[in-house]
Amino acid sequence: MMLPSAAVFHFPWEINSGKVQEGGSVRTFGRLVCYEPEESRATLSAQHAAKEHRVVVHTLFVEPFNPIIGAQYIVLGELENYDGIGAMVRARVLNCVDGVNVALLQKAIVEQRSFFRERECKQGDVAQSADAT
Amino acid sequence: MQAAAMDPAEEPPSMLWGLDPVFSAFARLYIRDILQMTESIQVPGVYFYNLHPIYKVDVLGTVVYKRERDDFFCYGVDDGTGVINCLCWKSDLLKEAEDPSQAGGKHSDGAQAGFNPAAELKKLRQMQQKSCHLEIGELLRVRGSVKTSRQQREIKASTYYKVNDPVMAAQIVWMMEVPQLYRQCYDKPFQLKADGAGNSVSSLSKATNIIKDFLKEKCVTRFRPYDVQDLLQPLICSQPQTASADQEPVAGPSACQQLRQLLKEALQVLHDEGVVYRRVKSQEEVYHVTAQDKDLLMAIKDIIREDSKREKFAEKGCHVLHILSAVRQRHSLNVSRAALELVLKSLECNSDIISTSDSHYTVF
Repeated sequence: MMLPSAAVFHFPWEINSGKVQEGGSVRTFGRLVCYEPEESRATLSAQHAAKEHRVVVHTLFVEPFNPIIGAQYIVLGELENYDGIGAMVRARVLNCVDGVNVALLQKAIVEQRSFFRERECKQGDVAQSADAT
Repeated sequence: MQAAAMDPAEEPPSMLWGLDPVFSAFARLYIRDILQMTESIQVPGVYFYNLHPIYKVDVLGTVVYKRERDDFFCYGVDDGTGVINCLCWKSDLLKEAEDPSQAGGKHSDGAQAGFNPAAELKKLRQMQQKSCHLEIGELLRVRGSVKTSRQQREIKASTYYKVNDPVMAAQIVWMMEVPQLYRQCYDKPFQLKADGAGNSVSSLSKATNIIKDFLKEKCVTRFRPYDVQDLLQPLICSQPQTASADQEPVAGPSACQQLRQLLKEALQVLHDEGVVYRRVKSQEEVYHVTAQDKDLLMAIKDIIREDSKREKFAEKGCHVLHILSAVRQRHSLNVSRAALELVLKSLECNSDIISTSDSHYTVF
């Protein structure tokens, strides 16, 4: 039995930033702006800091699905790099979550991250003090 | 995150596990932490997160893997921090519902006339079946015990169901809540409170107990503070040794002052509890022991006996505040309510008086 690795939440503007390694599992969100069934390719879009960020999604594994242009989607999958396109998420899960409170979702992601950062910091301190003694 | 290896000596003794409230709860841990918790050496099947003993968990996540067998489902659940396998047994009810369902068609025809229990039951079963049967990408909530089989950690579900979360509200609430739970419970070390409250408090309660025991043992009726002062000496002597080792010349209170202060506080506690009272407030501090004060006992009994005959109190008996003001007039102004209640309790235990409500007393 092979379980896939955990799909960690990333903001759409982090997908193309090189933060995530190729093959890494991610989950992200965005508004569906375009779907090309013949290419099995969908594009999600999100606004951040007065800029539009796009995430290209490979939809072969989740087809057929009902594309609603303009709706919010959440995607889980692995990051792959393609010549000419750049980073693309090969979707394992693509769910329509239109109506989601995006601001609150972002806050929840930030909250979770800061919790983990806080905890790692604390553990670092503990490890350091243990080394010192 | 729990370090992978824990010193077996660090493991809290299993006797104390039940005192940790996390032990008997379904812990809402991140899947990452569930996968990394160390298993107990004393009792396999119990795990430790930050020294909290844990054996059952509560998770919410997306189904990313699925396999169905005759008796159970295997769901791989991903909460964004890890993926864990969840063993979800099918209930007998569910298996019946999976039987050929054509027979149900006839029932529902008949049901149009009125309420048809068989058809309703079938509907319920279908609903349950739906909530147990998930596809990849759907949201699953699982509560169950953590197991390790073939070196793989998994959750053996005791409850599981599909969560309808079209706008991610449930997931967002979960993501906001779990860090709070960690900060408030899971990441806080569990400590028994015994020594946490500080030395002064425990020596005060020791002091009051010493005095109480002494009064009871010797059937003391009244005393002056000076008479019991020596009893508390051991509590004072034992204390400064620890502090004075490294910092000798402290201009703090002397042992004698400490002793007097402790005695004063202990007597105050006893007074507040009603164990002792001062019949007369005079220069000479004399404390009467409430339980041994025959005069006080008689006075209270007389008041209740006499006043219960009065028309005003005939039905319900005397209210405790009425008794208190009467005792203060007849016996001593300084009798506290706590002291009165102590006497009332002992009178009631001897069936000298009877309570008619929680604050009314009478005699027959």
